[in-house]
Amino acid sequence: MPVLVACFKWVVDEAYIRRTSAGELDLSSVSYKISDYDRNALEEAARMKEASGGSVLAVTVGVPESTKGVKDALSRGADQAFFIADPSFGMLGASETAAILAEVIRTRIGNFDLVLCGEGSSDLYNQQVGIRLAERLGIPCLSFVQKLELEEGRVVAERRLEDGIERVSAPLPAVVTVLPDINIPRIPGVKDTLSASRKPVVTIGKDDLAVAPDAHFRTISLAASRLDRQCERFGADETDIRRFIGALRQKGVLR
Amino acid sequence: MAGIWIFAEKTEQALELLQAGQLLLAAGMGGELIAVTWPGGPRPEDLGAAGAAEVLLLPPLADHQPLESYGPSILEEARKVQPNLLLFSSTARGKDLASRIAEGLNAGLCSGCNALHWNSESGTLEMERLLYGGAAVQRIAPFTFPVLATVPPGTFRRGTGNPDREATIRHLPAPPVSPVSVLEHKPKERKGQDVMAAKIVVCAGRGFEKPEDLAFARNLADTLGGALACTRPLSEEMHWLPEDLCIGLSGIQVKPDLYIGIGVSGQVQHLTGIRGAKIVCAINRDEQAPIFAAADLGIVGDLYAVLPRLLQALNETAAP
Amino acid sequence: MDFRLTEEQELIRKNMREFAEKYVDPIAAEIDENSRHPAELFKKLAEGDWMGIPIPQEYGGAGADYLTHTLVVEELSRSCSSTGFTVSIHVGIACMLVNLFGSEDQKKKFLVPMAKGQHLGAFVLTEPGAGTDVMAATTTAMAEGADYVINGTKTFTSNGPTGDTYMVFAWTDKAAGRKGLSAFIVPRGTVGMKAGEHFNKMGLRSSQTSEMVFKDCRVPKENLLGKEGNGLAMAMTGFDHGRVGIAAQSVGILQAALDESIRYSKERVQFGTPIARHQAISWMIADMATDLSAARYLTYAAACLKDQKQPFSKEASMAKLFAAEAAMKHTIKAVQIHGGYGYCKGAKVERLMRDAKITEIYEGTSEAQRMVISGNVLR
Repeated sequence: MPVLVACFKWVVDEAYIRRTSAGELDLSSVSYKISDYDRNALEEAARMKEASGGSVLAVTVGVPESTKGVKDALSRGADQAFFIADPSFGMLGASETAAILAEVIRTRIGNFDLVLCGEGSSDLYNQQVGIRLAERLGIPCLSFVQKLELEEGRVVAERRLEDGIERVSAPLPAVVTVLPDINIPRIPGVKDTLSASRKPVVTIGKDDLAVAPDAHFRTISLAASRLDRQCERFGADETDIRRFIGALRQKGVLR
Repeated sequence: MAGIWIFAEKTEQALELLQAGQLLLAAGMGGELIAVTWPGGPRPEDLGAAGAAEVLLLPPLADHQPLESYGPSILEEARKVQPNLLLFSSTARGKDLASRIAEGLNAGLCSGCNALHWNSESGTLEMERLLYGGAAVQRIAPFTFPVLATVPPGTFRRGTGNPDREATIRHLPAPPVSPVSVLEHKPKERKGQDVMAAKIVVCAGRGFEKPEDLAFARNLADTLGGALACTRPLSEEMHWLPEDLCIGLSGIQVKPDLYIGIGVSGQVQHLTGIRGAKIVCAINRDEQAPIFAAADLGIVGDLYAVLPRLLQALNETAAP
Repeated sequence: MDFRLTEEQELIRKNMREFAEKYVDPIAAEIDENSRHPAELFKKLAEGDWMGIPIPQEYGGAGADYLTHTLVVEELSRSCSSTGFTVSIHVGIACMLVNLFGSEDQKKKFLVPMAKGQHLGAFVLTEPGAGTDVMAATTTAMAEGADYVINGTKTFTSNGPTGDTYMVFAWTDKAAGRKGLSAFIVPRGTVGMKAGEHFNKMGLRSSQTSEMVFKDCRVPKENLLGKEGNGLAMAMTGFDHGRVGIAAQSVGILQAALDESIRYSKERVQFGTPIARHQAISWMIADMATDLSAARYLTYAAACLKDQKQPFSKEASMAKLFAAEAAMKHTIKAVQIHGGYGYCKGAKVERLMRDAKITEIYEGTSEAQRMVISGNVLR
């Protein structure tokens, strides 16, 4: 019966980010979500368990207010959650997150078969945590996986690379980072959400951790990105379409 | 100061990284430009011609070993030499290797770095990247060196090489055997023009109702001598086009002279992939689609009505 | 006083929003245009336990509170108010009536499949000559041996053509006045009960509405809901629950009108500036947002009273009255903000405006709500 660990991050939903007239980021009306590809990781773990038994442990590092995210993860098929929380864990870098996850997985879970991570988070999209985590744990990592199977003591995965598909195999325990097309995450039903509140959550504070990783970067500036475009509009009739083609030729981008 | 290392799977990516490295050295970041490669990777003579002073050459990998197995060899050498900066082209393997090596060096890694600036006065390396699906730009600086960055292909222009220049070659030891083994490699079928290199990109979005209808977009791409691409839903959800044609934050980032989005709504993640386009055009029947705010020229109309007219007008007015 | 939702309520709302964006938004305009009941959608709603939220799990529901159900009706209605309403009347009236007044056997037989979303419930009260004036109804149910025999004609029955389980109200003793009306559970396929043609309505078009004709329709006595003569009281209790749902439906419509108006007014440029910067428009939006908040709090407050087992009849009427009138008033404004574009098919505000009107009419007109409210405050 495999023990599956799914890591997830509770992040700002970028659809709610606004840009002030001064070009600053406006996060005042944001809501939060489980990072998109982490939902794929949770889903894949839940499907593996539903298909062949075992258990799913969801692990997250974040600010103490992320309790809703923990319930969200538990409503997606996880049996238990490990919630590593501190007010200072809001904007951790990839190396810090990986170090904290590694310690908790090693000391609190110990016997596990597979760790599943999203390929990157939808807020920072560093695409590092899963791979750094595997290095920290000293176990193999299969990154950018679009298909996954467990065999006798091994994991077999399809990695999607620029030059094709690479089918790889590694002994367990191992870490995989999954691509969004590995599955379509479920929308939890009402009962799933209600039962999530009754599942066990182990909360771990900063003081409970032996590691105290340092940040590698300082932020010089953070601003809303801008796309300066001319925004010229044309209609759909033939005259306008000819004008449109004329404009493209004038700009020298069309023969 | 031990310079800048570069690693890329493809020669053109390596040349872009060498150019980025040269610019930093010229700005006063000390040291030499060093390229890491392996048999089957970019050729040492090309790397030398493009400005690498030294090439660190890895031995061939044993059968069934993935490219990432080189990690320990590169890491060991980097530990010894302590380069200031290691640039990796951000292909899947490049990102994977960079993360392993960064962890081994206990170093920072700036992922998806799209601008690098050496501030010689303060001695800081300023690195730029996108956050929140492209909604924000973050400038960061490392506290310590070495530091790593993965750079999306196409971020820097390739420099003009000098074929007379030659790099000294130093051989690196073989890595230990990786527990990961490659069972099979299914190469991608190459069809049509390379989107990354195309001067004109025609991108199909959700507005297409049936997969057959993509013929309209393909037709337009052919007429213009451009390449066809798509948005994430078309490749990921509908599977109408292969994943490597998907433009966006988690797909490819293109920098054509002309981008034409057809039936593309303009999610922020997609717009991130077309930031580098010189001219952005959009055809969408929803005049409120966010793509229009990110387009130079927009046609508000049903693509099924607009495309035939556009094709006809292009054919009639084609330059002789 | 704490105005926050619980984390579970917030998550369920978020999940319904995702569900609605994925499955409802893409078909909302089509099912409106074609007056189509989207059976495939209701199958998906059933799978996610959305069709019996406040019903205990032992009877097939999700076992959540009424406020959660209210939030779900609101989010569904934001995408398609016909769908939101169908869930509202199914859960808020049909399921709730059996849950509150049904026998253990009736719950097992009728409530379980309804709360699981396998059977759709309907509320059969209104007659051609008896709208707000319920007492003017003429349909009768005569005891005959082990059965009741129902005769009469009902109209404006929501889920009439598509329902599986009908809550039918008829006189068992007309002479007993307010104590003479009784309610029966009549399953689809019962001989003598026939649904008419689906009405071609102005709005709420994918919700199926028809006449229901009863001609010597025999139902066994065990299908009597509650006690004989308690029909009127039960109908009023059903209305109390249903009205919170209609209020939530109106709030959903209003939210959608505000979403559309904000989006359009920021992008539509006239006189060289987005129309949102014109005070004439921005003040309309300010009023819309304010009434939306007021309607929402009235609605949640009524649902909370219900969950706290307190009387909520007056509050349900107030929420329904205010939210319905606000939805009508502001969807007209939303069309105005959209100008000619808003008057054309394909504009969401056009559908919202047509859909809003019914909220002032059914489950008690605004006038009927004022009767309930004034009756309460002038007591």
